[in-house]
Amino acid sequence: MEGLLGGVRVLDLSQDIAGSFCARLLADYGAEVVKVEPPGGAALRRMGPFYKDDPHPEKSLLFFVLNLNKLGVTLNIESEGGRKILKELARDADVIVETYKPSYMSSLDLAYDQLEKLNPGLVLTSITPFGQYGPYSRYEGEEIVSYAMGAIMSISGTRDRAPLKHGGFQAQYEAGLNAAAATSMALFLQGMTGEGQHLDISTTECVGSTMIANQTLYSFTGATQTRRSPEGSAFGHPMPCADGWVIAQTGAGADWNHMARFFDRPQLLEPRFVEQARSAEYDQELDAVLLDAIKDRGKRDLFRTASEMRMLFGLVQTPEDLAHCPQLKARGFFREVDHPVMGKLMVPAVLFNSSQTPYQPGRPAPLLGQHNLATYRDRMGYTGADLVQLRQLDII
Amino acid sequence: MSEMKRLPLEGIRVLDSSYIFSLPYTGALLADMGAEVIKVEGPGRTDPTRFGGLFGSFPENEVSGDWWDRCSTYNLLNRGKFSLTLDLTDAGARDLFREMVSISDVVMENYTPRVMRDWGLDYRSLRKVRPDIIMVSNTGYGHGEGPYSGYPAQATTLEATHGLCWITGYPGGPPSRAGSSYVDFLSTWTALFAIGAALRHRSRTGQGQWIDLAMYQIGAMAISEYILDYTVNGRLGQRMGNRHTFRAPQGCYRSAGEDEWVTLSVGSDEQWQSLCELMGQPGLIQDPRFDGALSRFQNHDELDSILNQWTERYDKYQLMETLQSAGIPSGPVLNNKDTHLDPHLRAREFLENVTFPEERGIGTRPFIGRPYKFSKSPLEIKGPAPALGQHNERVLMELLGVSEEKYLVLEQQAITGNAPVTGEPVFPAPIGRQIEEGRLGGWDPDYAEVLKDCLGGRGVDR
Repeated sequence: MEGLLGGVRVLDLSQDIAGSFCARLLADYGAEVVKVEPPGGAALRRMGPFYKDDPHPEKSLLFFVLNLNKLGVTLNIESEGGRKILKELARDADVIVETYKPSYMSSLDLAYDQLEKLNPGLVLTSITPFGQYGPYSRYEGEEIVSYAMGAIMSISGTRDRAPLKHGGFQAQYEAGLNAAAATSMALFLQGMTGEGQHLDISTTECVGSTMIANQTLYSFTGATQTRRSPEGSAFGHPMPCADGWVIAQTGAGADWNHMARFFDRPQLLEPRFVEQARSAEYDQELDAVLLDAIKDRGKRDLFRTASEMRMLFGLVQTPEDLAHCPQLKARGFFREVDHPVMGKLMVPAVLFNSSQTPYQPGRPAPLLGQHNLATYRDRMGYTGADLVQLRQLDII
Repeated sequence: MSEMKRLPLEGIRVLDSSYIFSLPYTGALLADMGAEVIKVEGPGRTDPTRFGGLFGSFPENEVSGDWWDRCSTYNLLNRGKFSLTLDLTDAGARDLFREMVSISDVVMENYTPRVMRDWGLDYRSLRKVRPDIIMVSNTGYGHGEGPYSGYPAQATTLEATHGLCWITGYPGGPPSRAGSSYVDFLSTWTALFAIGAALRHRSRTGQGQWIDLAMYQIGAMAISEYILDYTVNGRLGQRMGNRHTFRAPQGCYRSAGEDEWVTLSVGSDEQWQSLCELMGQPGLIQDPRFDGALSRFQNHDELDSILNQWTERYDKYQLMETLQSAGIPSGPVLNNKDTHLDPHLRAREFLENVTFPEERGIGTRPFIGRPYKFSKSPLEIKGPAPALGQHNERVLMELLGVSEEKYLVLEQQAITGNAPVTGEPVFPAPIGRQIEEGRLGGWDPDYAEVLKDCLGGRGVDR
């Protein structure tokens, strides 16, 4: 069955998490994606975690999970011969995803203007830390820099300490999602007009786009925000209970009466607590009451009871909890993938469910150069002898 | 064609029956792309972002006039849309909703799973009305038979449940939330991706689609590598604060001024050597505590104090320029005032000005645009968010052909209307008090001047 993006052909030149994630999403939903790596392998193959802590190029779990469902070829696009092949591939492609510095593609004569002449329908999706133009466009980016300049760090952490970044590589995932979104829209338009375009995604602006309340706080009132006080802000943040942490919030179907009943603390109905949204005066007292109320209770019991009372309630889950989560299982989030080197693995696979085009069980990430023959010989017509020569010239 | 600058979603009609942050934001981004987006709210169940409090701010921190149309986040998240009020608890109103679906391309909603089913407005029902409809449902835990499917959820609490809090926090400290409503936005963009793909699929096959999003699941996807590290290696992940898994040093350091900070990240020995030279401490290059990334990683605490002593003497922007000139990734921590002034964000027009009709009492204000640019489809905010029910007549009478007589009855029965039937705004405390209580960082007495500059000299002009 054809997926949502059936018939779309993608070249994935990306070296980082954001671009690889973007291209993986396109592959997950039915596009044919060819990962184009330098002959030495993509940089992600050298990033952990690794299968059983073995830093082997085919055992990076990060590379593996971000390149599911793709085909893989090697190509040195810095060589004249490699560029020629890339241009041939680009002629047939609907999308190229790339994450090089803004000047890099044009230094290789692969700028959008040049690619457009080869293939007017091509969508070139470029993801960079700061975007393709502007005073910082040539600057060096990193995950932490995008959080800093995207403003999220200014309100994360506590005010007695330095601003804090999110765990993991959230900015990269944010950019990957935005790039996939922009690409799908450009593809929809391309389907109608036959024309492609150049998409310029800024990772820093992806992070900054989440600051909707923060940005408008200034433009509506002139107030600036900083990090929360270390004391008196347990409500709405992780609170320790008997075996972990939980988090409570007002809203949804539950009011302050539910809160008092759930926490089994009638004093929560006193006006000073009920009014907590308007004043911080009693925040520390509120913390004391809540923390005492849950200190001997278990996180799962708290979560279930509160959720059944229709309160907004969460528990801090570990990767282990997620791996065994009955809800994620029921949703079909995890799928088994058989990798030629690592064997069978359960992987986080399904981003969302689409009723008429269900997720198709996927293929593992490609081994380095796994589809060179299928691509260069079977599809493009290079001979075996050509390929041997190209390999010896370090072009593939 | 190439000269026409066509937008991706011209001619696409979206029925947006969603609330709060996530899907309303998708609707705003769809409107930026040229879609006709009709926001549907119940007169007795208007969007919580209209009410202020934790959800947003009122102009100049004052609740006045038609306050429900003035809150900041409502206006950011609903820009360029049309507004229809329709009380879907009424069976007749639901018939009108179905009629709307029959002339729409996309329907979006974020009710808990049972609601749309009970109303006969779930995908199975709407497909009968419009076989190729694309329906997007966004819930905390997703539809289906899972044990959590009926649970209420919001990004704040989901951030813990989907695993992000566990890996976020200062080293050795408790799990922590980072920022605000994080997973809402992951769902915003996932919905956008899904809608683009589903529209393309529909144009090729004639087939519609039900997109069933679970914010919990989307959030878990963004920590995939931690889940695999557990299933394969039994590792639980850890809180590393601002540190990187292998780059060192990396962190957020004090710069000159009150609550001012700069970030930097060193990824190679060459960058480390450049950093030592910039700090005027070339002796550190030979220091055995820091020779090589593994040593620097082990002695990161000592390194942090050396770096803080250097950075605290300089302005955060100056530090960025100095470090970047040596090829070291660096950037200042921007707060919500800085983002209005930053030269790069301004050069890219990341914030866009929106001018409201005079009676809205908002004037002209800058709002976040979007983090992507299309070379041939110049995207922009199409106009202000509508006043509540502003397009009731247009949608009901012109689009659906409701008679004037029936329209008046709908108004009388409060099935449609121009003001919220229930709900009071959250009256904000004075900003000075919020600063004293530690809920706000500060207040900029010159903000009107800063905005004037942002707005090309025009000023807010309420």
